[in-house]
Amino acid sequence: MSTATEQIATTRADGSRVNPGRGRGRRKVEGVFYLFLLPVLALFTLSITLPAVMGIFFSFTDSVGFGEFNVIGFTNYAVIFSDPAILRAYGFTIGVALCSVVLVNVVALALALGLTSKIKGKTALRTIFVLPMVVSGIIIAFVFRFIFANSLPAAATALGIGPLEESLVSNPSLAWVTIVLVTAFQAAPPAMLIYIAGLMTIPRDVYEASAIDGARPWQQFRHITLPLVSGYVLINMIIGFKDFLSTYEIVVGLTDGGPGTSTVSVAMAIFRGFERGDYAYQMANSTIFFLITLAIALIQLRVTRGRARF
Amino acid sequence: MRREASDDAHRLTRRALLGGGALGALAAGLSGCGAGGGAGGAQEITLYQNKREAIDFFRGLVSEFNEAHSGRIRVIHDTTPGSLSAQFARSTPPALGAYNYNFEMSRFQERGELSDLSDLAEKADIRPAVQDLVDQYPTYPGRTSVIPYSIMGSGVLYNQEVFERHGLEVPTTYSEFLELCGTLRDAGVTPIYQTSGDAWTLAQGVTDYAIGGMLDVAGFFERLRGQGDAAGPDAEVSFSHAFREPFERALEIHSFANSNAASRKYGDGNVAFAQGDAAMYFQGPWALTEIDTINPDARIGVFPLPMTEDPADRKIRVNLDLALWIPESIPHPDAARELLDFLITPELADEYNQANLGFGVRNDSPPIADPRMNDLQGYVDRAAFYQGASVSIPRTILYENYVQGVMTGDSVEGMLRTLDEDWARLARRQ
Amino acid sequence: MTMQTTLDTPGGDDPASSREPLASSEQVRPTRRRSSPARTWIVTILLVLGACVVLLPFVVAVSMAFKTEAQAVQGQAFALPSPWSIEGFQQAWTLTSFPRSFAISLVVTASATVGTVLLSAMASYAISRNWNRRLFRWSFFYLLAAMFLPFPVLALSQVKLTGMVGLANPGGVVLLHIMFQMSFSVLLFTAFLRSLPEELEESARIDGASTWRTFWTVVFPLMMPMAATVGIFAMLKGWNDFMMPSMIIADPALQTLPVIQQVFQDQFSNNYHVSFASYLLAIVPAIFAYVLSQRWVMSGLTQGAIK
Repeated sequence: MSTATEQIATTRADGSRVNPGRGRGRRKVEGVFYLFLLPVLALFTLSITLPAVMGIFFSFTDSVGFGEFNVIGFTNYAVIFSDPAILRAYGFTIGVALCSVVLVNVVALALALGLTSKIKGKTALRTIFVLPMVVSGIIIAFVFRFIFANSLPAAATALGIGPLEESLVSNPSLAWVTIVLVTAFQAAPPAMLIYIAGLMTIPRDVYEASAIDGARPWQQFRHITLPLVSGYVLINMIIGFKDFLSTYEIVVGLTDGGPGTSTVSVAMAIFRGFERGDYAYQMANSTIFFLITLAIALIQLRVTRGRARF
Repeated sequence: MRREASDDAHRLTRRALLGGGALGALAAGLSGCGAGGGAGGAQEITLYQNKREAIDFFRGLVSEFNEAHSGRIRVIHDTTPGSLSAQFARSTPPALGAYNYNFEMSRFQERGELSDLSDLAEKADIRPAVQDLVDQYPTYPGRTSVIPYSIMGSGVLYNQEVFERHGLEVPTTYSEFLELCGTLRDAGVTPIYQTSGDAWTLAQGVTDYAIGGMLDVAGFFERLRGQGDAAGPDAEVSFSHAFREPFERALEIHSFANSNAASRKYGDGNVAFAQGDAAMYFQGPWALTEIDTINPDARIGVFPLPMTEDPADRKIRVNLDLALWIPESIPHPDAARELLDFLITPELADEYNQANLGFGVRNDSPPIADPRMNDLQGYVDRAAFYQGASVSIPRTILYENYVQGVMTGDSVEGMLRTLDEDWARLARRQ
Repeated sequence: MTMQTTLDTPGGDDPASSREPLASSEQVRPTRRRSSPARTWIVTILLVLGACVVLLPFVVAVSMAFKTEAQAVQGQAFALPSPWSIEGFQQAWTLTSFPRSFAISLVVTASATVGTVLLSAMASYAISRNWNRRLFRWSFFYLLAAMFLPFPVLALSQVKLTGMVGLANPGGVVLLHIMFQMSFSVLLFTAFLRSLPEELEESARIDGASTWRTFWTVVFPLMMPMAATVGIFAMLKGWNDFMMPSMIIADPALQTLPVIQQVFQDQFSNNYHVSFASYLLAIVPAIFAYVLSQRWVMSGLTQGAIK
């Protein structure tokens, strides 16, 4: 995501170089270009910008989503910061996002290394590993809910593995683990594809040279592969983190926020607030959520800037 | 305070939202179908009624009504389970709702979204004790926003066969109840089937029964609301103070539940109880319909959960299973009122209640015929009932989840403090 | 699931013309790492084990879906069905009104994909060819800004708005899908258009073609490789998304396939054979399409990744 902005920066910096023949004087823009752009801009404004502005407006009211309401200033914002339910949702969401980012990238990089090494049946394996990405997340979560709640305890009981006999999804202190696992299941394939693409760009003579110098596989990985794919690691982390922050359907499918409130994500709190008559309050929450996402994006952008040229 | 201030702001946003009209124009091609005019000049109105068990009954009424008003009014029976909030937010509420009434519904009437039905209410001849149930939640001053239609009573469902086999009687005091649970357990029978996997089953079951059996629920919430945002764990009226004992007892009762309760859901519970896997089950009459299908031979009875040592304190949990209302801004209010007038015809209402194990709401409603539910008729007649605490707390407070948390190990004290603080925070902002 | 990356890859590798980078890797770099046969075997075994984990949920789904009700109630996922029964599929078929929900999902996916590709291609063309104009340059950043907006932030207002203008239906979902894909798609297309030699357009113009004609006959066909990438992402989103249709579509009878599956969580939670049959019905079309068009999809996705 912030590499996107990286792109913007590049474009802006060398825009003239990129469009050499296009700056042909200050000719009038052809009408057809407006026809190409303006409808998109209009639809975009009405379906993205207007809702955003509306949401911000309602965050200063006591609206329940319909009917009469009062403008109440910053009360909603003041209340949010003392609301343990909301703070817990943020803690949970950020924690799960961090864990998922790490797990997804470790798994994806390992798979990518495996799938680019010299092994048999690569095509078939790759087909299988990409599979989770074409399947709807909510359905994956439903299936895993069944596995965690029924199959796993049954198997554990049969094999006599005590700790796993309890259903993981109904354990308040472990339910989050299932969410991280299923998130990784679904998010690893796209990350893996990026790593595979990245690994392809490493020139083979680097490996050959190091092999002549007697480097062992681990040393090769540590000193050649990892530095060279570090840019991709960063990209994956950034993309993943933003997506994981708005995690919703996997939570709905696995735990529905439970047991208790132990797995309520921010997105879930926002949606529930609307259905349960806390519209304005959750709009304030949304606004804060947006600012946090934006802040994280900008921080990531700064970090990437320094390291984009690898 | 909300009432007078809001009009201007409201108009303002409506205007702001008119911008959306352009979106509509642009997108008309995408949406294809529109609202569409009613065929042949008949006024089209929607009846929103999605209680599953009652759908067939209302379908019959609707076609009867449509025939009688052919060419003038056409009722569309909307039975889809959907979010009512979303319908109102979209400004497309149904013309007439036949819907569960609890604190959730009061949100709509309190914000002035429901029209005044006082003239029709007179004709409906509602029992004062039932009207009290309506008024236990915030209403819109000067309006009769809903007309009750049916009451459901719930208590502890028990398997009569199991009770007989172990020579057990229906308990009338709390200690008798505990004793009974102990006897069952010693005999190797699971005393109670709990389904903690579905948080609502705990909240409307064991904890609502415990709270309702020990304190005056409506009075408590009235005093709590009266405190405004002065609420909190240390306030004069608080959950921490009032709910502590009921919750401790609920936990005591829950300790007699099936060992895998944590991962069981409502559906599992119905199957297990119908098949005689446990002696008791904390569900309302809605579960009876399912249980009947699973095992038609099961002999099930119902009794109110005794929470004190005085049998006279026993009360049942009731809910206004159906109440009728008409939104304030709909295209054909007169047609909707005609339909409502038709629905409250005594014969129809009585027929509905008999068929759905509900109690009547009029002064002259006949007693319920079903033998299982008939055991509860006495409680309804002398108004020994309460509406559950779980449906008196705004759902924006995740009470059901809190209850589930407590039943799977959270501390009662901590949970009640959270509840108090949530309540105070809500009072500050709404 | 998204891979909005536009890394400026070092070296002048033109990703647009990248030919099946994954499949052909072996020939290109026969000795990328020194590997002894033993190591190769270990890697293979590990990957096969990993593949088994990936396949596990699918196996569970198949095993449950083909059971009879009596077997399914026991919830034994690892016991194969005996006898195999299609009872679950029959029930799921009617319960989810499969033909209708399938058609709705299909139409939503197809319209969203076509709409995304066309609208973003047109906008990108206008932007990249008028980069020196403020309106177009700023439009680019404006459209891009939405990448920072998570859907939950907008959802509730969109529910209100779509309801008010009669778009609380699959049509509204199509519109919103297109708009949410806009940022990412415009980003990919403008990057691609920049790498496109302008001589081709020029020669068309010399032949007297209008900009409109030039776009449709020359430029758009050239954009196809990137359109594949944009289209695949729009397709995956359109087919699999749960959050947005569940919020926007008012009439449950018009819901998309993933949302419909929720019915098994509350109402039919015990009929495992029916729910798993239904899950299979919902995912098999996507898997089928993926396996059939695999090479194409893979190169499209990878291209999105390195672009």
